[in-house]
This record gives sequence, structure tokens and C-alpha cells, in this order.
Amino acid sequence: MNNFSFCFKSYGVGIKIESNSSEVLDLAVKAAQRALLERTAEISCADAMQHFQILGGPDGVYSIFQNGKEMVTDKLNLRFWKYFDSLVRILVAEFTKEVVIVHAGVVGWHGKAIVVPGDSFFGKTTLIAEFIRAGAEYYSDEYAVFDESGKVHPFERPLAMRSDGPEVVETTTDINEIGGRVGRNPIPVGVLLFTRYIPESEVNYQFLSRGEAVVRIIGQTIPIRRNSEFAIKVLKNAVSSAIIVKSSRSEAREFARGFLEFVDNTAI
Amino acid sequence: MNNSQYPLARKSGLVVQEMPDEVLVYDLNSNKAHCLNETAAKVWKSCDGRTSIDEMAAVFGKGSNEDLVWLAIDQLSENHLLETGVTSKFKGQSRREVIKKIGLASVIAVPVIASLVAPQNALAAQSCHCVNNTQCSSGPNLGHCAATTCNGSGLCAAP
Repeated sequence: MNNFSFCFKSYGVGIKIESNSSEVLDLAVKAAQRALLERTAEISCADAMQHFQILGGPDGVYSIFQNGKEMVTDKLNLRFWKYFDSLVRILVAEFTKEVVIVHAGVVGWHGKAIVVPGDSFFGKTTLIAEFIRAGAEYYSDEYAVFDESGKVHPFERPLAMRSDGPEVVETTTDINEIGGRVGRNPIPVGVLLFTRYIPESEVNYQFLSRGEAVVRIIGQTIPIRRNSEFAIKVLKNAVSSAIIVKSSRSEAREFARGFLEFVDNTAI
Repeated sequence: MNNSQYPLARKSGLVVQEMPDEVLVYDLNSNKAHCLNETAAKVWKSCDGRTSIDEMAAVFGKGSNEDLVWLAIDQLSENHLLETGVTSKFKGQSRREVIKKIGLASVIAVPVIASLVAPQNALAAQSCHCVNNTQCSSGPNLGHCAATTCNGSGLCAAP
């Protein structure tokens, strides 16, 4: 059986996508390009070291293989493609040697970045949205992209908001819909904020040292095991002129506005 | 207790980054990151295999500084940042008790090593996306999402 393929690179990572259906290949390539915000360029497949295969049959059930390992088998529905999106982004974040990608939300404030590291369901996106409503520039709600000097670059995908209702649903919100603007230039980190949503908690800012900050952020640093030396160096550069704060938070809107005031009153 | 021990700092398999007043150490064998505060870093740098613990304590001046050095050595040893193990001075005493004793007598910061194990490969990136329940109850999503079932929106969250 003939397979169809397309190869591209993103952040220096060469990826081959292959399928036994040309239509599925088209969908997969579009999904991958969308996942990487079109920061992709076609390359020769000889230069692609990472490999996705999406193989299926006439029953409409397909399997995703990543470097030969079966990741999932299902019908080609929305969640299948969302999962593929996630796999593509994680792969690039893990294997890139050009930048260090950290699971964190980022906004720009007076030319410096406020970086909020955290796992999923910590309320990062909700807080980032409130920073934007308060006038901050949008950089990312998921991935903080640090270059070698420690500056943060935008990864401005639409905000992925999750509802609080009986069923958690993820919807995307364009930044323009909440009156925000996207930051375009790489900026140094001004503040690293460790926070999580705790209902009815009081704000209690505590300062941490830069070394402690790097140790804490290791938990969200995707290539830390694969490219440890580079990652540690970049994280050190990233925090070199930042202040590091931790606090619990309750309502995002109130916290965001209070925090920006706090930042304005603290030399960064 | 044996103050004539000559601890030697481990060099291989470590990524070391100096920061103002701190040293960052990433252990490539255990994938553990450590932040040594100024006192712990100073002791670690003194562990050259030729300097005794008595001599190290002298660097910090008089008082309870021997305990201070021992506290650092204990933590360095525990975190595998020394080439060989050392016999601890504080057998039977909790670290809290030792810190309390030193903290009251010393003007020098108590040595502290903060550590964290790096997550498995892409664990940090888990986004709680899924296609089936298995992906929520195993692998990187396990224990990091709101639920162990995959809901209709493709999230390990409430059904």
C-alpha cells in the first residue's frame, strides 16, 4: 500500500507525517501547522528525525504512531485531532535545541514578561486572560518560549479556556475578543509568579531566590531531561534580572489587577 | 563524629551554574535539581578532598560553625553531591533540632539545599488532552488532571 507523506521543521525539529490516506495526511498537516502557529517550513524527508504515522482502514478508525509507538486508536473526531495537536506540540517542545519551552502562561507588562508556570487545571489561562483585560500584552497561555539569552518569545495561540460547569469543556477565545493585543518582540523576564487557585484564599506575596525559582520551574520545563545543560543555562539567564514571587490566589480578576499594581510598585 | 574526614565534592555527571549567592546543580544521573544557598555552596566548594571539616569550620569563624559545616555536609551527602559518604555527626538528632540549635547561635545563614526531581520526559507538558480513559489513568496525565476519565471534549475532566 502506498503511503503519503509531508515533512517540515519547526523550532529546528524535523518531523515527517505519513498516512495511507492523502485526505487524512492533509488534515494532519493542517492540524500540525495550526498547533505550531504556522511556524513551520517544508524540508526534505531525509532531514526529518521525528515521525508520525496516521494509519487506518475503511471503517474510519485510525491509529497515531509516534516514532513507531502506537499512541491512540479512534475515529477521526475532534478529540482525535486535539490529541494529535498536543502530541505535536509536546514533541517539538521536547526535542528543540533552539529554545527552551516551559509550561507557563506569559504576558508582557511595560516591556518585561510576567511568567506564570503551572500544570494544567491550575487556572493559568483564566489568570492570563485577566492580565490581558487589565492591559497586559499577550504572549502565551501554555508555552513560554525562552531563547538562549533567557528572553521570552510569543507563542500566541488562542486562549484555551476551560469551563467550570458540570462538564469541563475547552473553548478557544481569540485575543481580540477580550480586547487584547499580542506582544511581538522578545522580552526579558521581569517577574516569575508561582500561584495557584485556592478558593477564598488571601493574597500573600512571598519572595523566592532565583536559584529556588529555577528549581521550582524545572517541574514545568519540557526538555529538562533531554537537553539538561542547555535548559539549566537558559533558565538561569531567564531569571537573572527577575523578581520571584509566590502567592495563592482566589478570584483571577481581582488578583490580576492587584498583582499588576504590586509589580508597578516593585522595581523590576 | 570524625572531624578529620576529608570530603570530596562530586564533579562528574553534574551541570553546575553559579548564581549570585547561590549555586544551581543538576544531577544528570538522578535528574534532580538542587539549589545550594550561599553557606551550602561555600562548604561544597571547600570539599576538595584535602580540607578537613575542622578546617572548613575555621573559615566560618568561631561559635557553632562546626555544626553549620556538618549540617551542610550531611545534606550534600544525602543528595549525592559528595564522592564518598561521610559519617554524620548528628546521629539520633533531627535536622530541625540541629537547625534550631545553630540558628540561635549563628549569624551565618543556615545551609539549605532545595531540591526537585525533574518530571519524566514530557510530563511537564501534559495538557490533559485525551481520546480514551486509558490515557487519563496512565502515563503523563495520571495524577495531573481533574479526573481519570476522558470526557466528550477530549479532556481528562468531569464527564
